[in-house]
Amino acid sequence: MNQALGRQPDGSASMDGNLLNAPLFHSLIQRMEDGERHVVLDLGPPQAGTVALLSQYRCRLDIADLAANLNEIDQELEGRDLRSNIDRLLPVKRSERVDLVLCWDLLNYLSRPAIRELMTCIAERSKKGTLIHALVVYAERQMPVIPDRYVPVDDHSLRPVTLSQEMRPAPRYSPEDLSQCMPAYQLDRAMLLRNGMQEFLFRL
Amino acid sequence: MFERGKKTTSDEAERAAGSDAGSTSGRPANRRSGTREAAVIGASIQIDGDVRGEEDLIIQGEVSGKISLLNNSLTVGRDGKVKADVHAQAVFVDGHVDGDLIGSERVCIRSTAQVRGNITSPRVSLEDGARFKGSIEMDPEAVEALMGKRPAPARSAGSSPKPVVAKSGNGNDSGKSRDLLSEAKTGAAG
Repeated sequence: MNQALGRQPDGSASMDGNLLNAPLFHSLIQRMEDGERHVVLDLGPPQAGTVALLSQYRCRLDIADLAANLNEIDQELEGRDLRSNIDRLLPVKRSERVDLVLCWDLLNYLSRPAIRELMTCIAERSKKGTLIHALVVYAERQMPVIPDRYVPVDDHSLRPVTLSQEMRPAPRYSPEDLSQCMPAYQLDRAMLLRNGMQEFLFRL
Repeated sequence: MFERGKKTTSDEAERAAGSDAGSTSGRPANRRSGTREAAVIGASIQIDGDVRGEEDLIIQGEVSGKISLLNNSLTVGRDGKVKADVHAQAVFVDGHVDGDLIGSERVCIRSTAQVRGNITSPRVSLEDGARFKGSIEMDPEAVEALMGKRPAPARSAGSSPKPVVAKSGNGNDSGKSRDLLSEAKTGAAG
């Protein structure tokens, strides 16, 4: 599979970080080997590694790339404006609903109201029982000013790719914080990863 | 309309389109050994309307409408702008596309591409650095159904597994949808 290549702001490629064992992600990919069809919504940017991995399975992959439009989601918007922006940035609703959502290092860059609206919009596009796999800063007080990328690699580990060295405070959302922002979802499992990120699995 | 005088070989076309030398993703799918000519819509050309043909095509200019090259490849060059639904044997994108892409053999989104639309093809590759928003249909049965080669697969019933994934012995023949979460609870490596 592809190496973990990210783009620096100047366009150059970078590779950093070690492989990260993400047990909950691993378990989800294992489940996709059931031969059933799945619909995966990746809220992050398009990545060769994700496409290459999921191309091995029977699925449709929707790519939202919300990280490219963070300023439209997390300004001082409220209510209808915030909702309409998120609706516009997400894939259109289809009759075949999403059943797995990848949400890697995105929630750290959203306010609580934005998380609430985003998850409401996702629920409207999802089946009952849909899983959200999220990576959230937990141990560190600082985080890069733009979201890291996480690239799936051959053994279903994730390779973090940092795109900016400039740092800002991390919100460090706790499981309770997120549960309050996502009332339609149940927290199923959470695991602290080696890089200080918390791996969450929420269920609609 | 097309720049017949600028007919170019596939190798020249790939260079013109800005592909990397040696890239495994850069070959028009049905290229045979030797050279193969492709028509070019040059950088100064703008087309509003449908484009159909029986030869490979490289777009360096702008095309709005619908593009149909059922037995040939389409390459959208780095400066090319396409606002159209495309149906071709193989589609290679280095430039801008706003529309759905159907590649009966493959679709390749290269690192400089900016694509907004849905992709349907049995082989899809996307290079890091590309901008893409939309859906990628990767289910072979759904791809064939969308291309009219077979009936649409049942969504919720158990379907035959994709051959390349048949590596575990946990085939689900119950015919019921599976709950990923309940199985993840017991399947996680801890």
